[in-house]
Amino acid sequence: MVAPPAADPVFLGFFYLLQEYGIPVNLHYLIDFYAGLQKGLVRNIDELFVFLRLNLVKKAEHMDAFERAFAFYFFDIDIPDLAEDDPEVLNTRQFQEWLRQAIANKEITGPIWQMDREQLIKKFWETLKQQMERHDGGKRWVGTGGASPFGHSGMAQPGVRVHGPGGNRSAIKAIGERNYIDYASSHALKGTNIRQALTALKKLQPSGAPTELDIHETISKTAQNGGEIELVFARELRDKISVLLLIDNGGMSMLPHAELTRLLFDKLKDRFKSLKTYYFHNTIYQRVYADPYHSKPIATEKLLQLPKETRVIIMGDASMAPDELYASRGSLYFEDEHNETSMHWLSKIKERFSQSVWLNPILKEHWQQNGAWTLHQIRSVFEMEDLSLNGIKKAVEHLNQKS
Amino acid sequence: MEFQGTDNYYLNPELQSIVNMAIQMEKPLLLTGEPGTGKTQLAFEISRSLGMPLEILRAKSTIKGEETCYVQDTVLRLNDARFGGADTGRDVNQFFDYIIWGPIGRAFRSEERVVLLLDEIDKTESDVQDNLLDVLDEKQFTIREINQVIQAKLPPLILITSNAKRELSDPFLRRCFCHHLAFPSREEMIEIVKLHFAELDAKLLDTALNIFYELRARGFEKAPATSELLDWLQALKSSETDLQVPDQIPFLGALLKRTEDILSFRNGKQQPGSRW
Repeated sequence: MVAPPAADPVFLGFFYLLQEYGIPVNLHYLIDFYAGLQKGLVRNIDELFVFLRLNLVKKAEHMDAFERAFAFYFFDIDIPDLAEDDPEVLNTRQFQEWLRQAIANKEITGPIWQMDREQLIKKFWETLKQQMERHDGGKRWVGTGGASPFGHSGMAQPGVRVHGPGGNRSAIKAIGERNYIDYASSHALKGTNIRQALTALKKLQPSGAPTELDIHETISKTAQNGGEIELVFARELRDKISVLLLIDNGGMSMLPHAELTRLLFDKLKDRFKSLKTYYFHNTIYQRVYADPYHSKPIATEKLLQLPKETRVIIMGDASMAPDELYASRGSLYFEDEHNETSMHWLSKIKERFSQSVWLNPILKEHWQQNGAWTLHQIRSVFEMEDLSLNGIKKAVEHLNQKS
Repeated sequence: MEFQGTDNYYLNPELQSIVNMAIQMEKPLLLTGEPGTGKTQLAFEISRSLGMPLEILRAKSTIKGEETCYVQDTVLRLNDARFGGADTGRDVNQFFDYIIWGPIGRAFRSEERVVLLLDEIDKTESDVQDNLLDVLDEKQFTIREINQVIQAKLPPLILITSNAKRELSDPFLRRCFCHHLAFPSREEMIEIVKLHFAELDAKLLDTALNIFYELRARGFEKAPATSELLDWLQALKSSETDLQVPDQIPFLGALLKRTEDILSFRNGKQQPGSRW
């Protein structure tokens, strides 16, 4: 655990704490910070906060974690990593510790199972806020957690709920909560190797108007011309690759792969001039969705009208109930009941866009296991690679093949 | 040297101390945030408040890096060589007569300390960004053709803005002080509006801000920002329109720019701002 600030005048403990909060700390940041201290830039705790943040937080997505770390280290206030309206707070150690203390201090009385959850959550945040307002740096009221008698089992949500990823990935018609994760949300990026592999996709091809002066050619032509100037223009190099990205973001089976998918998605966004992204659940029927929440449907037929040269990357685990691929009523969406099979749509996509590839977050060596049957059926249509550096390199080769 | 706000720019105290810290530490200050948060404007205000000239590099995706320092006008030189440039004051044998300095070149060669703004740096390729930062870090660049190093006479005060259309590379971020500008709160917005409209009816402003922040919360494709609000207020003021009619927003086009947004507003459709 972290040493109290008094024994740590240079805040070294804080820098280590930041790493626990997922904020990368670089030695240069520390040196700059100390240089600033020497210049007298920090005169009070507000300036300390601003200056520390300026030196250490380089991305907006780390901002919240930094503030929580700061509150914890300097004010002894432990804020859970959740939004205020998130009922998940019930499962955090901060909440459970607070509850334990509140009961011990007789602030809350009566049988715990009769208590209104909303009320409890509200009270918890109120207490936190009061502490922040007081700026008292008072007694730390949240310890290191540990076994609490008030586990989440006692407070489970009523209704049908899927707990944890299923052992078998084949889930017919998801019931209850659907877990769509907004892949576009910006999380900390790593894995520059994906970027390198994807750079291969950016094949430069001359296009556009000949507007760039070719100096070497001009000089040599002019020389040949006996000094009479002859200007030679070259075509501007411009990247013309457009990419259609289809992401499977529905159902529990994709959840374990969420982080990887998001990573790839962000990288792709970075690399291309034109990138269209659509979402689907398990496999593709007559419509896909323009948003991660599946609320803006787009006809698959429309996608098929995109230029033939569009590179298509489909991202999904290709694991589902066999029915979903081959039955005309296989779709998970009730409104899709009368339609062509998914296999039909997949073949149409492949037919239209010869430069297409299926990327699977399941590593190749596991392809024989869960959901393998549908996976191999889809492989008969699309080239499939896994989401490893090698897999992506191979995928790029497929995409670069001339139609 | 201490930066303070000016008459027509609202500066919140935190941002003020951030700017001053960056000046003291001689670090490039990278400002991110959505359009309309006053990123670019800040550079203008710093330049005005400190009385330092401003050099602006407006980034484009085609920038390769070198031209931000200098460009050699080969065509002109070729032309002078062929037809003679005696009466132009240029000498074909003088390399520097055919150099056009870019914003960084001008900033480095300036006799006084300047504010150097790299606007919308995220539009450039990431290797270009890294090259630029090398130049800014070392405060020097080399003119390749004659292998001559141009050293900054006085280190410029560097401001960089980014709309975060693309991720900036980690080495780039590492060398900057980064600050994310949040969208102005209601109270701050009132301060900003006051700077532009000295006497605006308090009631009108109140209603206008209600509508403005409500529209922003609806999650339109292009949410209205500060400049839209100011345009809209100007329109309301000039036409002396009353805002008291419910469910009707005059000059909607000043606030919402995209057709889809306007249509979805008219249809009163709920935008998927929340998850379900």
